[in-house]
Amino acid sequence: MPQTVERTDTRTDSHRVVAPDLPWVTLVWNDPVNLMSYVSYVFRSYFGYPKAEAERLMLQVHNHGRAVVATGPREAMERHVEAMHNYGLMSTVSKADS
Amino acid sequence: MRAFRRNTEASLSARFTADERSAIQSLAGQVAGLLSNRDSAAGDPALTRLLPDAYRGDTYSAAEFRRFTEDSLADNKIHNAAVVIDSLERATASSAEWVETTLDASEIQSWLRCLTDIRLTVAARLGIEADGDEGADDEEGLMLREVYDWLGFVQGSFIEALEP
Repeated sequence: MPQTVERTDTRTDSHRVVAPDLPWVTLVWNDPVNLMSYVSYVFRSYFGYPKAEAERLMLQVHNHGRAVVATGPREAMERHVEAMHNYGLMSTVSKADS
Repeated sequence: MRAFRRNTEASLSARFTADERSAIQSLAGQVAGLLSNRDSAAGDPALTRLLPDAYRGDTYSAAEFRRFTEDSLADNKIHNAAVVIDSLERATASSAEWVETTLDASEIQSWLRCLTDIRLTVAARLGIEADGDEGADDEEGLMLREVYDWLGFVQGSFIEALEP
């Protein structure tokens, strides 16, 4: 979600580097019900992805079973998952490295 | 037949037969009923699919998330179903065969989500759990499968009408 992902602050501040705070992701999982056109529409209209990127993510879900559709702080990812559930998509929050 | 036609950026016309209108209203009512009686429907696969876990492999986080969000998620879906039912209720005859209704931007969003919830519910009744599942092949299953396929067509044409 390029438009809303919070940027990691990597500036050196008082001789310390602020640790990246991006350990969580929003996953969308493949399901046998939702149409490809619908999933792509949701990625565009909710996350604001350009059409080509929305299609790429949709195909990743379709072909590989899941895709990371957003990265950021846990609370923001939970809000995304809640929105995805409102749309009827299978979606979960996960640690970025899991 | 095209069920949906775009009027302006924020308005869409939906056209159905009287039977189709009744069918969608009935299905939307069933989804709302299921979500309104979650205690008695606990364990229903359709309910599980409409209100899924937000965490896999972390039952504590899944339960916490559910505790804070399930009521509002269910309420949103019930609201969407009510919007669909109401907008079809005010549909007027546009010919001997068709009834037509106009959806505004907010109603369009409710329709998108509710059509999805209806299809998820019917799919759960059919036992469709993975790509390629056809569902039960007894008489009732085949009839429901026809409804399911028709709803897929309706949803598809809805999205086509929304595409710029």
